[in-house]
Amino acid sequence: MLPFRPQRPRIVWLAGLGLASGTLWVLLSGARAEAIRGTRQPANFPAMRYDLASNEPDQAAFELGRTLFYDPRLSSDGSISCGSCHQQSRAFTDGRAVPVGVAGRRSRRNAPALQNLRWRHGFMADGGVLGLEAQALAPLTSPQEMNEPLANALARLNADPEYRRRFAAIYGPGKIDTPQFLRALAQFTAALTSASSRYDKFVRHEPGGTLTTPELQGMALLRARCSSCHATDLFTDESFRNNGLDAAFPVDSGRAHITLRPTDAGRFKVPSLRNVARTAPYMHDGRFATLPQVLAHYARGVRPSRTLDPLLRQPDGRLGIALSAKQQSEIIAFLATLTDQQFLTDPRLAAPARETRATPPRVIGAKAVAFQHR
Amino acid sequence: MKTSKYFLFFGLLLVASMAGMQGCKKDSDLQTPGEVDLQISNVVGAKPLALDGTTYSTPAGEIFSVSTFEYYISNIKLTKSDGTVYVAPNTYFLVDQAKPATQHLAITGVPAGTYTGVSFIIGVDAATTQADPLALTGVLNPANSMYWTWNTGHIFLKLEGTVTSAGRPIVCHIGGYTDPYNAIVTATPSLAGKILSVNGTHSSTISLSADVLKLFDGVSHITLSTFSNGMMPGAEAVQVAKNYGAGMFTVTQTQDN
Repeated sequence: MLPFRPQRPRIVWLAGLGLASGTLWVLLSGARAEAIRGTRQPANFPAMRYDLASNEPDQAAFELGRTLFYDPRLSSDGSISCGSCHQQSRAFTDGRAVPVGVAGRRSRRNAPALQNLRWRHGFMADGGVLGLEAQALAPLTSPQEMNEPLANALARLNADPEYRRRFAAIYGPGKIDTPQFLRALAQFTAALTSASSRYDKFVRHEPGGTLTTPELQGMALLRARCSSCHATDLFTDESFRNNGLDAAFPVDSGRAHITLRPTDAGRFKVPSLRNVARTAPYMHDGRFATLPQVLAHYARGVRPSRTLDPLLRQPDGRLGIALSAKQQSEIIAFLATLTDQQFLTDPRLAAPARETRATPPRVIGAKAVAFQHR
Repeated sequence: MKTSKYFLFFGLLLVASMAGMQGCKKDSDLQTPGEVDLQISNVVGAKPLALDGTTYSTPAGEIFSVSTFEYYISNIKLTKSDGTVYVAPNTYFLVDQAKPATQHLAITGVPAGTYTGVSFIIGVDAATTQADPLALTGVLNPANSMYWTWNTGHIFLKLEGTVTSAGRPIVCHIGGYTDPYNAIVTATPSLAGKILSVNGTHSSTISLSADVLKLFDGVSHITLSTFSNGMMPGAEAVQVAKNYGAGMFTVTQTQDN
């Protein structure tokens, strides 16, 4: 009998060990999935558009992308990084009507928030750029922004032993080339998922997901009056629409700049409302400084044009969205619940310590800051 | 004596068999695929193109110089005497006046036969130019500065220079693949009845001249002094593309031996 005695507990012990290691594995793999930020599909989001397999999330590549994102050496005079105009605390906008690039040059359009890019299709306010990897090339090479031809940026990376080492560790030996550079950068930008606002917790019934009465009223109003365009929990339908800012579009024709169709004049990509309380000023040209100004525009400032979105023409012929002052402030109260503190303060998305030190102080309107890294 | 006779016999046998093998090899080479080279010379009318500030005159008397002249040639097709068409796979070339080696386009693996026609896209096909930049390597790499980053797609043809008679620069970047401003054009320069024999024994050459003047003349006349210095798709880009598609390339010589 004795030899049999320990057998049972042993089986139990083995089963227990199996169960424990299984649990441990699940926990570890869960932790690993979280370690590469923003790779999970939030339960309240529509399906991800981005094909993760095309640029599979990888921790080292994410960190490399983060270094690139915050490296001013990618601009022609070493003064501007992606992070200069895309600041984390502002949901990766810059607080300006239009960004200031190298040598104080000004862009034509407001710096867009960088968030939930894996759910985007068609980048830029006019949809001219077709994919997330390609997107990085636009600000890099634009004369008004970083002003650096891709070949120069690659040469600069290849001249840096530390970049050579880090790229080689991920992509294998050889020169740093276009796909490697764009893959690494997109590892960071793709990870900018914002899905932890108080509103998210509310809809997912998570702890901390409580909305006040005015906020709930604002939510109901927004769903009733605004969600045709600011649709789903991404708060955009990704379409291009003319929201009645102007009667003519001589400076920036928006979507028509790409399609060259007169019917697209004045149409711009519907932006997400996530973190909108942090992304002032507003509109494609940053003309509105505050959210009350934005709401006032929809309530009584919409201007007619041939391409004005039909949703902004009320049945009685009036333009815009009928909203009382009280309703406008309720909507603004709700919009504040879309602020995602976790996203705005996540240290994994901040500038790596070394690059922060290397970033020269930004002198706006003055001569370009001397390039420090030659 | 006997052994030397044997040696002679086997020696002759060896020579004969080698000759036979060589004959066999030649026969099979006539059936194996060959190489067709497109040799391109960029010209301005009757003069060779130079990027050194040399000035040229348009038929209308406008004077200009050229500092950059680059264009893609892709999707090369060769027509056989029997009317069938051979589509050369994965043919993408970037011809750059500043780099003579790029003016020699080698198409390998062309099936043996006789050919009477050639055609190619001046530019890049729509599917390829819209591809994820991660897939764009070699001449298609966006790092070659023949790519629009703000409106995803390649610049099919780039001419830059100075209209000295008007005292202004000329910047002509042609691209766009969406109707109604699709600037993808196909050139079919005539071989003028010549028949090109292709097989493994030699490489065949089609010499082409590409005339810069034809960008601004042909289907529609464009005045250099009022050209909008286009750097985007549009009606003017399509006009230029139709011009160069129709008239830029001329076959100057064919050689197949």
